[in-house]
Amino acid sequence: MNERMHVRKAERIERSLGLLDVEAFEAVIEGAMLAGTHWFNVLLHRAGVAAENADAMHAEFLTAGIRRKVAVLMPGALAALDEIETLRTTHVRGDMPDGSAAARRALACLARLREEATKRSAA
Amino acid sequence: MKIETHIDKFHRLDAALGRLRPDADCELWIWTAMNACVNLLNAALHRARLTEETDSFHTQVEGLYACPDRAHGTLTDAVHPPGDVMHAGQPALGTPLPDAIANASVALALIENLREPYVRGSEAPAAGASAEWERAYRTCVDRLSETLNISISR
Repeated sequence: MNERMHVRKAERIERSLGLLDVEAFEAVIEGAMLAGTHWFNVLLHRAGVAAENADAMHAEFLTAGIRRKVAVLMPGALAALDEIETLRTTHVRGDMPDGSAAARRALACLARLREEATKRSAA
Repeated sequence: MKIETHIDKFHRLDAALGRLRPDADCELWIWTAMNACVNLLNAALHRARLTEETDSFHTQVEGLYACPDRAHGTLTDAVHPPGDVMHAGQPALGTPLPDAIANASVALALIENLREPYVRGSEAPAAGASAEWERAYRTCVDRLSETLNISISR
């Protein structure tokens, strides 16, 4: 998918996220993962790390070599997506405590991904 | 996870779904509907004793679980028999399903198959397509709530 479509998708999902509050923490974390992954793909395509026909599905599923490269090129974005993915295990597929706080963390990570993608767009 | 935990998660996800529109919010609607159904499916599979109520969380890797140390808030990876399933048929259970759970799984698979074109991909749903999605959701929830003998308020 090209950058423009990833941006459109991320913004649509973020608008939907605005309809939920953090008490709906499973849905909020999942939405942060979905929108965040679209922002992440914007960064990957723009950096030439992944072609538009080779979107990343999850940061965890990047090959070891690509992941090392991404860790150098965009460490903040990678860390943010990794944190969202971890929250999915603990609070969406898991029942660790403080779900609302986890949702707030996921939204903060999503904001970081959005900031990185739009900052690099403006540069 | 425990049956009660899955049902609790279902109720929270179902309530969130009620705030989303399948057309305007199709990406998050599809994902939330899927997660709501997967939680009911896990509860039903545990109740039918086809899977175990293990204190472990399915990871993104099929068949790989994260086991919590609740005293320390840490997780350890483990591979063990299910356990929670990640999606309909993932992991495969290798045993026939009761009719109600099998029917629910077919309906869930319809929702899961929407992910590639409409959530990860850029296809736009055809006008009126969401009516079929909502029917699949209702079918899945109805079959599984019957199996679990719980009432779902609509």
